[in-house]
Order: sequence, then C-alpha cells, then structure tokens
Amino acid sequence: MEERYSKAETLALRRKHIGPSCKVFFAKDPLKIVRAQGQYMFDDKGEKYLDCINNVAHVGHSHPHVIKAATKQMELLNTNSRFLHDNLVQYAQRLTATLPEKLSVCYFVNSGSEANDLALRLARQYHGHQDVITLENAYHGHVTSLIDISPYKFNQLGKDSKKEFVHVAPSPDIYRGKYREDHPDPASAYAEEVKKIIEEAQKNGRKIAAFIAESMQSCGGQVIPPVGYFQKVAEYVHAAGGLFIADEVQVGFGRVGKHFWAFQLQGEDFVPDIVTMGKPIGNGHPMSCVVTTREIAESFGASGMEYFNTFGGNPVSCAIGLAVLEVIEKEDLQGNATRVGNYLLELLAEQKEKHPLVGDIRGVGLFVGVDLVKDQQKRTPATAEALHLIYKLKEHHILLSADGPHRNILKFKPPMCFTMEDAKHVVETIDALLTEMEEATGMKTENNVSTNAQCKRKTTEGSSQPEGANESIGHMNGAACRQENGLYSKKPSLSSKRIRT
Amino acid sequence: RLARQYTKHEDVIVLDHAYHGHLTSLIDISPYKFRNLEGQKEWVHVAPVPDTYRGLYREDHEDSVTAYANEVKNIIEQAHKRGRKIAAFFVESLPSVGGQIIPPAGYFQKVAEHVRKAGGIFIADEIQVGFGRVGKHFWAFQLQGEDFVPDIVTMGKPIGNGHPIACVATTEEIAEAFASTGVEYFNTFGGNPVSCAIGLAVLDVIEKEHLQAHATEVGNFLMQLLKEQKIKHPIIGDVRGSGLFIGVDLIKDQAQRTPATEAAEHLITRLKEEYILLSTDGPGRNVLKFKPPMCFNMEDAKFVVDTIDKLLTGNIGQNSSCEWSEDQASSEMLLTSS
Repeated sequence: MEERYSKAETLALRRKHIGPSCKVFFAKDPLKIVRAQGQYMFDDKGEKYLDCINNVAHVGHSHPHVIKAATKQMELLNTNSRFLHDNLVQYAQRLTATLPEKLSVCYFVNSGSEANDLALRLARQYHGHQDVITLENAYHGHVTSLIDISPYKFNQLGKDSKKEFVHVAPSPDIYRGKYREDHPDPASAYAEEVKKIIEEAQKNGRKIAAFIAESMQSCGGQVIPPVGYFQKVAEYVHAAGGLFIADEVQVGFGRVGKHFWAFQLQGEDFVPDIVTMGKPIGNGHPMSCVVTTREIAESFGASGMEYFNTFGGNPVSCAIGLAVLEVIEKEDLQGNATRVGNYLLELLAEQKEKHPLVGDIRGVGLFVGVDLVKDQQKRTPATAEALHLIYKLKEHHILLSADGPHRNILKFKPPMCFTMEDAKHVVETIDALLTEMEEATGMKTENNVSTNAQCKRKTTEGSSQPEGANESIGHMNGAACRQENGLYSKKPSLSSKRIRT
Repeated sequence: RLARQYTKHEDVIVLDHAYHGHLTSLIDISPYKFRNLEGQKEWVHVAPVPDTYRGLYREDHEDSVTAYANEVKNIIEQAHKRGRKIAAFFVESLPSVGGQIIPPAGYFQKVAEHVRKAGGIFIADEIQVGFGRVGKHFWAFQLQGEDFVPDIVTMGKPIGNGHPIACVATTEEIAEAFASTGVEYFNTFGGNPVSCAIGLAVLDVIEKEHLQAHATEVGNFLMQLLKEQKIKHPIIGDVRGSGLFIGVDLIKDQAQRTPATEAAEHLITRLKEEYILLSTDGPGRNVLKFKPPMCFNMEDAKFVVDTIDKLLTGNIGQNSSCEWSEDQASSEMLLTSS
C-alpha cells in the first residue's frame, strides 16, 4: 500500500499541526494504522492486530454492506433535514422500533457530545429545572456543558471544578465502590444515595432537571450497575420533577447481547425518559441520536425556537444507520455477542482463579472488564501492571486498552464480529503475560500447570455444545488451540526486570 | 474552551443577532437564540452589529469602523469596572443570521487591538463563509485586510461538502496552553481518515475547478444584476456581498428602512413555485440570502434575477397582504439560519 509519508514523517507532521491535547495510544511507540477489516487492524508494515478496543466499528471495520449503502447515497444526495427524505423517517422508524414504545421521537445529531448536550437541554426545558445528578467517574462528552457533568474530566482540572448545579452520586460499582458484592441490597443502597442528594439539593432551594448515567460506565471502569438501581433512582428523580437520561453512546446496539440497549439489563419495567446513542451507530461515520418521549419533545418545541442541526439526519448518515441495523440483524451479532461474551467471561474467570493480579472479571455480552489488583483483599489497583500488560499485548499484536479512575481495568469492547478463537487467543496471551509479570515480581501464580496441558484438558473435555445455549462455552477445536500455543513457546523475557510504569 | 484556558478569563463579547451553534454553551453566546430562550448570561456582552446599512452607524458616518470598534472598547471598560475579564471576542466573519452583513474593513483590527489589550483573544467563526466563498480570499476574515489575523478560526459546513466535519485552527501558543492542563482532548469521530480524505478532496476540487475565481466572477455579475434591480424596485433597500455570499435587503420604505418581512416571505414562496430555492434571514427576516454551491454559474445568476424581477414587478410588496395566507405565516418559523 502506497503511503504518502513514513511513520516518522507522519508523527512529525502530527506534532506540528494537531493539537498536543490530542493523544495517541501507546505514546512511547505509537501505531500507524492504515487499513482495517472486521476485527483486525493493519499497520504501515502490514502487521495484523486483533482489535479489542473499537466498539465504534460495531459491525466490523470497513463492512462492505455499510460502505455500499454510504457510497450509493452519497452519489444521490447529501443534504440537510429541512427537506423531506425517506431515509430519515425510515431510520427513525427502525431505530425507535428497537426501543420501548414511549421512546418514539428522534433528534439526529453527529456526535455523542452533541447528543448528551441536547439531552440536557431537553431535560432542562421540560420543567425549567437546572440541576443535574451525575455519577462518580462519569464521562459524557467534551463540550463545555458535558465537562461540567463529567467527574472523569472535571476532577482532573482541579478540586474546585465541580459546578454548584452538579451533584455527584457514588458509582454503583459493587466491586470497588461504596457498597460491594457482600452488601444485601446494593441497588437500593446506591439509589438511596441519589435520594439523599435530591433531598439535600431541595433543602438548598435547588431543582433537579435530570439524573444522567451511562447505562454501563466505560471510562469509569466497565461498571455494571446492579439490577433495580435505575428503577429506584428514576422513582426518586421523577418525584423531584426530574428526568432520567440513559447515555448509551458507548454501549448500545446489541453489545450486551441479551438486549439491544444496555439499560434493558435493569429490567423490563425500566424505561428512561431520554436515551442518547452514538459511537457504534454508524460504524464509524459521524452520527448520533437522542430519543425521547412525545411529551418531552413537545415541551421542547413549545418555546417556538427551532432546533436545527446542519448535518444531523442527512440522507447519507441515515442510509449508513439503516445498513448497520441490517447487518446487526442479518449476522446475528447480538447472538454472537452473547455466545462469545459468555465464553470470554468463562475463560477470564479461570484466569482469575489462577492469577492474583486479577481482582475481578465483569461484563455482559462483548462489554467486559478485567480489574487488575496488587492485593486481592484491599483491591489496590494495579495501574502500572495494567499499562505494562497493554504494551506487551501490543507486542503480541493484540490491541486492548485500560481505563477506570486508576487506569487498571482492561476493557474489552471489540467489534461485534469478534470470535471464539479471538477470545481464546487473547486470554491465552494474557495468561502467559500475567504469569510472566507475576514471576518477575514474585507473586504466586495459582495452579502453575503449563498452559499447554491446560489447553489439552479443554479439548478432551469440551465436546461440541450447541452454540445457542446461553451459558455454555463454545467448542474450541484442538487444532486452533495448538496453533495459538505458538505464542508462548517463547521463554518469558522479563526474568528479574522490574515492572516500570 | 481554548480561549478560556489560554486567557484564564471567562467573559465573551459577541455581536447582536449572532448565531454560533445549538449547544448549551453556544446558545449562551448567540443572541439570535438566547433572546428567545434563557436570556443573557452575566458573562456575555453584546456589541452592536457593524451593519452600515441598518445598524447604529451607517454609510453616511465618517468613520463607522472606529465608531463600531469603540462600542466594543466601551463594553470592555464597563466589564472591567464590574471586575469582569474578557476571554474572547467571538464573531462570524460575515454575520449570516444577522442579515448577510459585511463588516467594514478595519473593524476587526481595531476590535482585536482592544480585546488583546484586555487579555482576551479574537475568535473568527468561518463556519458559514470559509473555503473561498468570498472569492478574493480563502477566508472571509481576510477581507478585513492582510494585517488582520485572528487567534482562533472555526470552520465547518462547507468543509466536507456535506459530510459531518468541522475544525478549529489556532496558534501553537494557545494549543499548548490548552494541553498544559494535562487533560486529554479526545473526539471519537474527529480527524478520522474518511473525513480527512473527504476534506482533502474538497480542497482539490476548489483548486482544480478554480471555484474561488469563479465565485468572484459570478458573484460580481450577480451583484451587478441585483444592483440594477435595486434601481428599478424600491422594495430593494440594499444589495451587499462578496463572491457568492450576497444579501438583498428588502424594505417597506426608504427613509426608515423598515424590513419588508411579509414581502420577503412571499417572494421566497413564489420563487419556490418557479423552482428556485432561496431563503431569508436577518432579525427582520427580510434579507434574501444567496450562498449557493460554488459551481453556481452566470446563467443561474441571470435566471434568478430575471425571476425576482418578474415577481417584484408583479406586485409583491404592493399587495402582499392579499396573497398572504395563514400557512405561510406559520412556516415562517422554519426559514431561518442554515
């Protein structure tokens, strides 16, 4: 593939013309990616990487169905939504069909940040309230109004950065948060915290416009709220005249497997008032959407002021959105997410038994987090180890990222075409690397059976199981397993080297 | 965000009737929006539009540039008296929603002087007008003079020919101040390879098809034809523009320059029936705004003006109340800025 610039030149030009606040992955040794297909990325040397990061390429990088739909429409028309067009209404119809009935009105925008900002505008306009309750470690976007409600960001700006109209509730993290897995009812306990916040705010004459939460916190560390939490919070917020905004920008469109939307994990009796969606919606094309109820939409329109978004809802974006929905359906990506996700969780659970560095495994569908700790009792985040692991994984051509307030949580959110083989390959690599790291620091790896033997064990006991069964591990044939073993026939190179940040 | 981080100040000066976007933070600095919604925040200051046709200081003023710039100077002084500090002066290089305004040359320079002296910076919003539309320059702020350079330029709309892209360009100094917080700026879709390929293609076409020169040529011709119409039809109060960014200000009377709102609305509707799409803007919704695709040609220009001539001759403005219907009145809300 003909490249215009060498990697060094690319880097130099980037330093010259792109804002220094815009970071690159693997800063010490950045990757130049020139091509991608499905769940794989290819660098300037033609090296192939397994992508476990890019939930944005939801149906797989460069999916032909999406490209075809985009090109076809681009050749016909790409203009604004002040003209009537079928793509817009067709897409709105298909999209709202995936949601509970009362969420029927769409506003198309182009980025998660625009969507969340509009969600706030809708919520504030509704009863004229101003205040917003957000979660610890939340991240909702980079526009001014959203930095205000994103502790993940404003906490980095200094301790007085929280605005007075913003209230921060504890993140419903049952591994690392205030109420943990040993608490009898964490959902209620965490919801009670929100209730307290509302009462306190009201005492000070403040009025709640909204409670906003990512249906599953991503930057916050792959946090899955306990079931029932949203319902209780919604009850308190509604009583105070506020609305519930579910931010699905990171996690929507079937990623969790058993449902199309992550908020649906909370239960069928839970329906948010406003849902924002983004990232995966267009497989990488800049688009996004806010869906709400007719009532809230009408209240917003009552001011008489038009809402116009230059690019939002254009025919090309809608054609792309429709194509993505079609692929999700045709390729049964939700089913795949459940099957592969469950398998991945099983494999990782085994790793947790084996490696003291692994504190917790959590996830649903293809949204999985591995919480690395230095100490199982205290759950001290293993930040340096996580960073080291990420870099080593890159050397093994696996792209994974770490997040959470302590940057110690490995986060899996790969393209939805991620396979069983991919899952096995990643976990085997992580296994080997963790063993290496633990040996280097003198931590004891449990069950120090060689991984070859372990793999053989799986192939003999694992007979073909129907892929439809939710909880079953998909069958891994021996050949694939043995192939992957080639990775760690290499002796660990670390030996006595101290793990550096 | 860049301006506030760089200057460590909070306040923003904008022009009346400005429109900078629909986000919460931008409604706050868009009088066009906030006057009908949340009202003016205390950290926002509104300066008079440097509109030499309809504004405070008109074409007969001996030095409207200084006069308008002094309005900004006064605002800064007033703000300082209240202990407030200016982060930025934020302006569309050619106010569009404000009515296709061409600020008199030299205005930006003087304003920049006042603002920078107060520790603030100058933000030029080129979202509507950049990329060669004005013909003689690539950027509309360049109409002010070669000695004028803003501190931050924002661009959008035309940049990707419809593909959702936008960009902020600034100095290394400001970029580094922003980076110095250590907080990453990440934008999921921003700068992706597809958008950049599209952006490059647009620049290629602008160059290969000489769209800038074309805009000058056709724009000048269009202005000339419209000026002839101005002489012929008293409803046309002013014709102003540069390249393919032109406004035709319709008035009810020459003395007061009262906006001919209904007539403008009616003309737009009739033009659509003649298969010509045009829109109106300005606080009086009376300015016909031309900002067509840059491949607009001489024949198109002639055709539009001939049609407008025909329609104006056929009593639009005289008997507009007879042809004015309820439907048209309610659709007025829709024909605003784009």
